[in-house]
Amino acid sequence: MRILVVEDEPKTATYLHKGLSENGFVVDTARRGEDGLHLALTASYDAIILDVALPGCDGWTILAALRQAGKLTPVLFLTARDAVADRVKGLELGADDYLVKPFAFTELLARLRSILRRGPARQPEILRVADLELDFIRHRATRGGQRLELTPKEFALLALLARRQGEVLSRTLIAEQVWDMHFDSDTNVVDVAVRRLRRKVDDPFARKLIHTIRGSGYVLEER
Amino acid sequence: MSLKNVETGAFPGAVARPRTWSITRRLTLLYVVSTAVLLLAAGGFLYETLQRNLEHTRRGLLAGKLEVLRLLLREHPRQAEALANEVEHEASASQPLKYYIRLLDEHGRAVLETPGMSPRLPPGLFPAPRSALGEARPEAETGRRRGALLLVSARLPVGKAGQTEWTVQMAMDTALGDALLENYRKKLLPVLGLGLVFAATAGVWVARQGMAPLAEITRMARHISASRLHDRIATKPWPAELAELAAAFDAMLTRLEDSFTRLSGFSADLAHALRTPIHNLRGEAEVALARGRTPEEYQHVLVSTLEECDRLARMIDGLLFLARADDPKTALTRVRFDARQELEVVREFYEALASEQGVRVTCEGQASLVGDPMLFRRAISNLLGNALRHTPPGGQVRLRLQARGDRAVEVVVSDTGCGIAPEHLPRIFDRFYRASDPHSRIPGGIGLGLAIVQSIMRLHGGTVLVQSVLGQGTTFTLCFPGAGPAAPAGPTAAGPMTKM
Repeated sequence: MRILVVEDEPKTATYLHKGLSENGFVVDTARRGEDGLHLALTASYDAIILDVALPGCDGWTILAALRQAGKLTPVLFLTARDAVADRVKGLELGADDYLVKPFAFTELLARLRSILRRGPARQPEILRVADLELDFIRHRATRGGQRLELTPKEFALLALLARRQGEVLSRTLIAEQVWDMHFDSDTNVVDVAVRRLRRKVDDPFARKLIHTIRGSGYVLEER
Repeated sequence: MSLKNVETGAFPGAVARPRTWSITRRLTLLYVVSTAVLLLAAGGFLYETLQRNLEHTRRGLLAGKLEVLRLLLREHPRQAEALANEVEHEASASQPLKYYIRLLDEHGRAVLETPGMSPRLPPGLFPAPRSALGEARPEAETGRRRGALLLVSARLPVGKAGQTEWTVQMAMDTALGDALLENYRKKLLPVLGLGLVFAATAGVWVARQGMAPLAEITRMARHISASRLHDRIATKPWPAELAELAAAFDAMLTRLEDSFTRLSGFSADLAHALRTPIHNLRGEAEVALARGRTPEEYQHVLVSTLEECDRLARMIDGLLFLARADDPKTALTRVRFDARQELEVVREFYEALASEQGVRVTCEGQASLVGDPMLFRRAISNLLGNALRHTPPGGQVRLRLQARGDRAVEVVVSDTGCGIAPEHLPRIFDRFYRASDPHSRIPGGIGLGLAIVQSIMRLHGGTVLVQSVLGQGTTFTLCFPGAGPAAPAGPTAAGPMTKM
């Protein structure tokens, strides 16, 4: 997966480059708007991460020029301004998603994967991770053939982690996806919920599937 | 803001304002106009009366003479002496209203006339007389004005049988009366002019006197600046009209001062709130770098750094939310939603935490509300989160919906927790204010929760009330005004409650 990052702030550009590379992406970085536009038009990328405020031409100009040239590369734009008008403008110009600074890197990864996944992504009816099996039709979870007694929300939480196995999910994202709490809520709640889920999913078994990534969130994977 | 802006802001319109007249000028003009109207009306009325009286007197005199002649001609037609006396002597001697009489017989020949009448007043000058047979209507005699002369003529029957009619012609010299009226007219104009000059002078003086307290109040108001907001102007006894203005001005100053105090308090609290995480970040990084560490130790420092950054990011989010909510241009999404359902969503979110803590959370009541369901959820989430933080195991938190008489809906969040001391109650909605030990950091709290609840309620045109008893629990009441356009709810008498 090849990603173009257009970002003028050196520290941000550096850590984005490093973080994305370590997550298996091939990353090109441009510091100036014109360079970014040139790269975006000439090379082929799977996604572009675009800062709005750039020297030269700004992110919106790049996005508009890109779409005008018929390039449909997914674009995720970054902005320091949390104004609704800005977001609407970006999305109208054809951006696929946006993130407001400061954001968590895990959040960026999750959104990036989500826009890359878009398209004909059918949810499987049965999902397996190691010996964990999730039946989305019957809303049932089993481990090693043993039925797990989960509440609906616990099932939803486990399903989210399982569908995005290997991805670190932040507490904010979990609160949004499972409980529909789209605002800064008490993240302690997510910790408690995950702890209870673990008691049912991991505690009785030798192999642990749900892991805590300190300072970032949770991930479900076979280790 | 540039200095220029400040100046024009302090004295709007001092440079370029649409032309309006000063109050002094307006008052003076009003005085002058009303005086002019008054003088003209009075003068006109008096003139009219004078003229009418004069005319009345003249005609009365002529009518009297006519009556005398009529009697003489009817009763004693042959006593020419009496007639001559009446016509020649009485008339020429009469002063100051000089008049002339001429008697014409049935053939139109002059029988008698006041001496000196013919050259000035030939018989043809007089109007043709109407028949005066029988009727004695002196006022109705035909009269005609000619210069300064009033000409009257009438037919008078001669003798009791009344077969023949003589014509009497009378003229009255009105020059004297006319001169009187002329004199009156000439004097009216200078009097009017003088009156107006006096009115203008008096107007300016009265207006200046009347406006003096206003100038004084302006002078005092000008002395009040951001640094001297504690000054008040209603300390002096003002005239009734200005007392209210002074009181309103003072009330505005009080609100301004309050806002200033809160704002500077907020800045201090913000600085403190920011200092702590930054101090932690810096300290941990410094200590970690001071010597070589194991990877685990570095990891620990970095994780701690992430946590602090998270806190800072959440604080910024919270502050931005409040700033946006304060912006009067912010528009609220308005949809009708099931409040009970939203309460259940929030309760479900906190369920795991509550049951870990051994606290029971219950929902009661039904209501539908108009507003932004996500903001409603956020407000309830903040209150429930707080309640759970302060309620010991075995306690209970109740979320209750109740309709009020005036179509308003109340959402009551009550806990059986530790309660809030009365001295903290008025300030708990302030940003970063912490009722408990200000240095203790509650995990998960950023010190903006209640401020956000309050601003969400303000956006909905509602209010939030808090009631607390130490050791027994706290109750927050969110009052949403009746569905329809949100109007800020008026102040409610709330007993021991603190209204925010």
